[in-house]
Amino acid sequence: MDAAGLAELAELDEIIHQPLRLRIMAALNALPPGTGLEFVRLKKLTGATDGNLGAHIETLARAGYVTVDKAFVGKKPQTTVTLAAAGRAAFARHVAGLQEIIAGAAAKPPEP
Amino acid sequence: MIDSLEAARALDDIEDVTRRVRRSQIYRLSSLMMILWGALVFVGNLVTYLTPSYADKAWLSVYVLGIAGSVVLGAAEKARSGGRSFDVRALLAFVMLFAFGFFVEAIGHFGPREMGAFWPIYFMLFYCLAGLWFGIAFTVFGLLVTALTLIGYVSIGAAFPLWMAFVNGGGLIVGGLWMRRG
Repeated sequence: MDAAGLAELAELDEIIHQPLRLRIMAALNALPPGTGLEFVRLKKLTGATDGNLGAHIETLARAGYVTVDKAFVGKKPQTTVTLAAAGRAAFARHVAGLQEIIAGAAAKPPEP
Repeated sequence: MIDSLEAARALDDIEDVTRRVRRSQIYRLSSLMMILWGALVFVGNLVTYLTPSYADKAWLSVYVLGIAGSVVLGAAEKARSGGRSFDVRALLAFVMLFAFGFFVEAIGHFGPREMGAFWPIYFMLFYCLAGLWFGIAFTVFGLLVTALTLIGYVSIGAAFPLWMAFVNGGGLIVGGLWMRRG
């Protein structure tokens, strides 16, 4: 099977694959299960803008990959985003898919 | 469908973000400890400068409160991030660091001025080393405080403890606040 075939077989998640959503998922996946990141910290870590980040978090939340908690700390509103179990599993599958594509390309015989 | 180059780029991106998150967690805990130690060291130096006869008691209090506070902060941060709430290794690490410091101090027959320079430089060595793994900010900070300590030791007279209150105590507080911002 050639690399293209492997890429088709590889289980890539279209929701996660978008670059900023991939960074959001990677950031949340780096934390222990059940631990979240505040919106401001997530923005800094992923290099996103406010509006951009909000929209992509909403997409991930709709897919059931993250949960969003809004609370007040003192008088300030604080939004915390946490990776859901389904999100962690989907991210692991996505990473495995990416690794499969690279492995497939490396196994491909050189063109004559 | 994506090709292997795009896949490799995506994996690099994941690695980069993961590294940033881990570094930010280390900075977060370190910054709290730096602020705590900065405040204690500031007071210790100030007491040494203003009332030298109380210096020994002041520094003993600084060490006890600093170690206890660091262990509590470490435990709180671990509990917050879902880890074990008490890390006995952290406590033992502090005990070993101080034991070695006191040993050097004893065999070197250090006077108060030498001790005032030795302890900050000794601890800044670990900041410099930590920077090699956890971010250059630690190394820059360690080198800066070491340089300022040596400048004070060589060129400042009786006001050396006051100098160290700002260089070491103030430096730790400012460094900690900067790390929290970053």
